[in-house]
Amino acid sequence: MKRILLGTLFAAVSLNAMAQAPGGPDCGWGNMLFEGQRGTPAHFLASTTNGTSGNATFGMTSGTNGCSTNSALTYGGKSWIAMNGMMDELSKDMAVGKGEALTTYAVVLGVAPEDRAHFAAVTHEHFTQIFSKADDTAEDVHTNTLNVLKNDPALAKYATQA
Amino acid sequence: MLKRLVYLALCVCAPLSAVAQAAPHVGAERLQQLAQQPFWISLGHYETGKLGGWRSYVDDPKFFLAADGAHEPKAELSATLAAIYKPLQSSDDPDKHAQCVYPARTRWLRDQLQLTDLPAVDCKAFKQWFSDVAPDSAVLVFPAAYLNSPSSMFGHTLLRIDQADVKTNHTALLSYAINFGAYIEGSDNSILYAWKGLMGGYPGLFALVPYQEKLSEYRSLENRDLWEYHLNLSAEETGRMVEHVWELKQIRFGYFFFDENCSYRLLELLQVARPGLDLLKQFPLTAIPTDTVKAVKASGLVEKIDYRPSRERELLERAKPLSQDEQDWVLKLSADQRQLKEADYLALPAERRALIQDAAYRLERYRANGEERDAGRAQRSFELLGAISKNPPPELDIQRPGLPEDGHDSRTWQAGLGTRGDRAFAEYGLRMAYHDLNDNAYGFPLGAQIEILQLKLRQYEGNHWQVQQLDLATIRSLTPRTELLQPWSWQVTGGLERVLGKHGDENLVSHVNGGAGGTWKLGDDLLGFALGTVRVEHNNDFNALVSPAAGFNTGLLWRNPLGNLSLEAKGDYFTNGEVRRTLSLNQQWELSRNLGLRLSAQREFSQLASPQNEVMLEVKWYHY
Repeated sequence: MKRILLGTLFAAVSLNAMAQAPGGPDCGWGNMLFEGQRGTPAHFLASTTNGTSGNATFGMTSGTNGCSTNSALTYGGKSWIAMNGMMDELSKDMAVGKGEALTTYAVVLGVAPEDRAHFAAVTHEHFTQIFSKADDTAEDVHTNTLNVLKNDPALAKYATQA
Repeated sequence: MLKRLVYLALCVCAPLSAVAQAAPHVGAERLQQLAQQPFWISLGHYETGKLGGWRSYVDDPKFFLAADGAHEPKAELSATLAAIYKPLQSSDDPDKHAQCVYPARTRWLRDQLQLTDLPAVDCKAFKQWFSDVAPDSAVLVFPAAYLNSPSSMFGHTLLRIDQADVKTNHTALLSYAINFGAYIEGSDNSILYAWKGLMGGYPGLFALVPYQEKLSEYRSLENRDLWEYHLNLSAEETGRMVEHVWELKQIRFGYFFFDENCSYRLLELLQVARPGLDLLKQFPLTAIPTDTVKAVKASGLVEKIDYRPSRERELLERAKPLSQDEQDWVLKLSADQRQLKEADYLALPAERRALIQDAAYRLERYRANGEERDAGRAQRSFELLGAISKNPPPELDIQRPGLPEDGHDSRTWQAGLGTRGDRAFAEYGLRMAYHDLNDNAYGFPLGAQIEILQLKLRQYEGNHWQVQQLDLATIRSLTPRTELLQPWSWQVTGGLERVLGKHGDENLVSHVNGGAGGTWKLGDDLLGFALGTVRVEHNNDFNALVSPAAGFNTGLLWRNPLGNLSLEAKGDYFTNGEVRRTLSLNQQWELSRNLGLRLSAQREFSQLASPQNEVMLEVKWYHY
């Protein structure tokens, strides 16, 4: 069961449907840590229309950050691209050693349920290696994670499933 | 854009008349009977028109196959039947065939009429999309009110669609959400934006977005808690609903803030999921999202409720056990991460440092909300995270606040008896929505008020009737300032009210006023506030058409066992010399969820008349 993000599939009216492969110039797959998030102008205004955030594409491609959804890297059947929007949550979860984003990361990487607690412990222990600098991109974090997994006997098998 | 719509409409509609003979013959009577079935009515989003007959909420010709499909469920049904039988030419794009454009209609007609000889069409795009969403169960998501944004009390609802493994793998972050909202194109200025949003100037569209994106929008950007109501829809029911959402992609609805809003549309979807439900009957006039939650709950759809606190609440909870000194450290660390290495800081016990640096990190991220990435801030956050990873804090345990849907109903009927000076009166009032500082408090944040359309009529002795007050809207937001966060408090209101005047003691004036200032937490359930105000007023006692004034509004708000108590002083100093001041006390006695008793006493002062006292006891019935 493959899970990809549905940007272009639903975007008949979308104007920026020209998606890029991961690593392409307009693909936000290289989003940096603490990328931040631009918000709605004001709460009152947002709640009168229920928050499409003034996004002219109606948010249809926003989750993919302009990346092509067809060539997404998948692990254990799930797309790594899905983690792109969760970098901040993931960094926090990994720093404390537990949390929803960290569990999700394990699932996306195909880590079996019985190995997830160990995965959380190992990635927590190697936090500074996985998030090595403030401007790490999602791609860096991914590569660093695989390097850490390779060196752990129980988790090495998850580092080769590309 | 327009061209494209027309083109799409043509593709879909043009070939129909030519191929009608391919469809099986179904008697007129049977067609009529099918077209009246609730499920078909739901699929077409029909409502009974004001002059009888039908009208569809869909405001988009490309949704209909029959020319008069927006008004004729039966014509639309015959056209659909013909269209799904249209043979597929080799040059045709199968994804544009009616079977692929309307999977929910197709399935239902096939089941109802036992259509075994439909042409085989391979709906690649739909199948791929459906298998990617992989609907298994659904969750109704309700972002609760945020204190500093009283308009958010009206809230929003969306539906999360979960895959089969979400419960076992805890991967709700990978789910999709169905959101219905206004579609805003171009760059309207913000006043126009609010106005058009209210008045239906924007079309409404369904969107399917990653749930995780919605989560960060509400929890981080808007600082709203989220409530997740797990629905007991089966995989089949959820699938039926998602199939229908495909039919609505890029289809425009009217969007009106008060009735044809997100909540109404989601109720319609739930009726597609489970055709026996009749959730819409309860909303003839307005659909406020909490009412939606109530309706969904009352129909037995909810099996479990989850709560996700906002980022702001998490920050405040984390900072709660910290002493003044420790909070100072939070501010220092969040401004300069080098303080992490200060000897004074390292001298603190490790478990206290764990709390301090976690709070500092949360504060930094809170401040980054809605901002562009800043290299200095990113570096600070990064180093704080590094410190957290070496000394992780204990998990936050945040107590669930009261369920928003268990708060009082949104409309209020009021009846009171009182005396003003030496005259007795009765007062009758109706408020369309929603909550003031004293109203029954369960499920509402302390210090938030939003009222829309309130009318009060007064009957004095001798059967003398008068309009006492007409508020168009009143919004007050009294958010306490803390060591870490310093939000502004503010208020605006406008309408008609009676004030002390030259002739008789009650002069009806029209006014608009607003104010800004601060609120402070004086005790566990006690707030104090002070605001500077400005006012413009049209008053027959004054020479000018409109007279401006500046003033103050200050007071206390105390949550006590009986209900909420407010004690307020206000003053308006007009440029024409008039000075008007009021002292007032209000105590609510909460009798039950939807019933309250309020005692109000006030004394008014003016340059134009002698001071007046008024006392009133009022019943408030929150109904509907």
